[in-house]
Amino acid sequence: MERISHWIGGKSVAGESGRTGPVFNPATGEQTHEVDFATAQELDAAVAAAREAFPAWRATSLSKRADILFRLRELLDQRKPELARIVSSQHGKVVSDAMGEVQRGIENIEFATSIPNLLKGGFSEQVSTGVDVFSIRQPLGVVAGVTPFNFPAMVPMWMFANAIACGNTFVLKPSEKDPGASLFLGELLQDAGVPDGVFNVVQGDKVAVDAILEHPDIKAISFVGSTPIARYIYTTGTANGKRVQALGGAKNHMIVLPDADLDMAADAAVSAGYGSAGERCMAVSVVVAVGLDRRRAGRQDR
Amino acid sequence: MGPLVTREHRDKVAGYLDSSKAQGATVVRDGREDDVYQREGFFLGVSLIDNVTVAMDAYKDEIFGPVLSVVRVDTYDDAVRLVSENPYGNGVALFTRDGGAARRFQFDVEAGMVGINVPIPVPVAYYSFGGWKASLFGDNHMYGPEGITFYTRGKVVTERWPDPSTSTVDLGFPRTR
Repeated sequence: MERISHWIGGKSVAGESGRTGPVFNPATGEQTHEVDFATAQELDAAVAAAREAFPAWRATSLSKRADILFRLRELLDQRKPELARIVSSQHGKVVSDAMGEVQRGIENIEFATSIPNLLKGGFSEQVSTGVDVFSIRQPLGVVAGVTPFNFPAMVPMWMFANAIACGNTFVLKPSEKDPGASLFLGELLQDAGVPDGVFNVVQGDKVAVDAILEHPDIKAISFVGSTPIARYIYTTGTANGKRVQALGGAKNHMIVLPDADLDMAADAAVSAGYGSAGERCMAVSVVVAVGLDRRRAGRQDR
Repeated sequence: MGPLVTREHRDKVAGYLDSSKAQGATVVRDGREDDVYQREGFFLGVSLIDNVTVAMDAYKDEIFGPVLSVVRVDTYDDAVRLVSENPYGNGVALFTRDGGAARRFQFDVEAGMVGINVPIPVPVAYYSFGGWKASLFGDNHMYGPEGITFYTRGKVVTERWPDPSTSTVDLGFPRTR
């Protein structure tokens, strides 16, 4: 069985915890990989690599960072089908849907290429005689992302693109259900010229997540998942002095008013309700039909 | 549309078809009757439940599967109240030809991402993604401009350069005028 391991300091590092989880191809029901589950010590090794890489990365010029992100964007664009196939084979969504996910992820890399413009501060001249004031924005240090199974390529890109563009170094803990995309991304970042240690991946379960929540060198955590876990990540992470953004679940209503184009609304409900088998946090799960019975009655009267 | 991620999740999703029927809803289409359900993979066919009410599990829980519920209400106000009273506030969509209704909706509705005749209003990368209420804990939405805010901290520098002609000792609070 092929193993999926960690990515620390620019190379694949086999897990030594002895704990692993199965990765399935949901379309066939077959187990295809075994993924390592990290210990707190293995998470610590990734954080140490990120901490070591931070001073030089932070000092790297904005133009150079933008240059690397442009290269990453080109590599991702060229190798989109490979990444989409990995996503499809471990998540289960069809390849065309996975291509869409990768594309929306790439758009975050494109946004981050404008980092020289995004980090511009403000300047006030002569606030007092001979005195000027200006504002700057500086990176936090080592930041972590904990990402869900439903978008194994896009959601990590939501996070690391801006995080590293700002000068932070990053530790990703992807979902243990479909972790393959994270290693593909790690190698691609390296090919694009991202220095070793700037982007690291630790595979695992709650042990790794708790180690992230408790690690004193991790300054911020981005999380996407279910509401109970999001609440846990937020309360624990903030209690430990970290900056946290934790996205939880959803119940997305689609309201259909009596005057709506019903063909368009029906197509939209089917697409948004059943695409990716409904495993999207923006999937429509409730159609609210407003006054349809009255509209039908009105037609019958006529 | 593809299978679900695991067998356990597929079976949990399918369980909502039984619970909603027991709770009085109409199962219009049961995805377990499709051929794909018998395959080795973790498939469930598209499923549709009508006459769902807010008291039912299918409405209260995030099912995360190919199960669409239909709730019937009489008025626009009833529909908006449903969204407002729901603990989540991620995405929401309105389908209408009435621009005035759409405008009122984006003003009224308690959710972070709104679609007008767009069912999945995921913001483009140069805006930010985030819901309200139990859909997001924290102060910043994700990616886009708020992502830059999240991953940086501000610093304000007040500076002057030596000018012997204006330099004096002043023990008072720093003044600007």
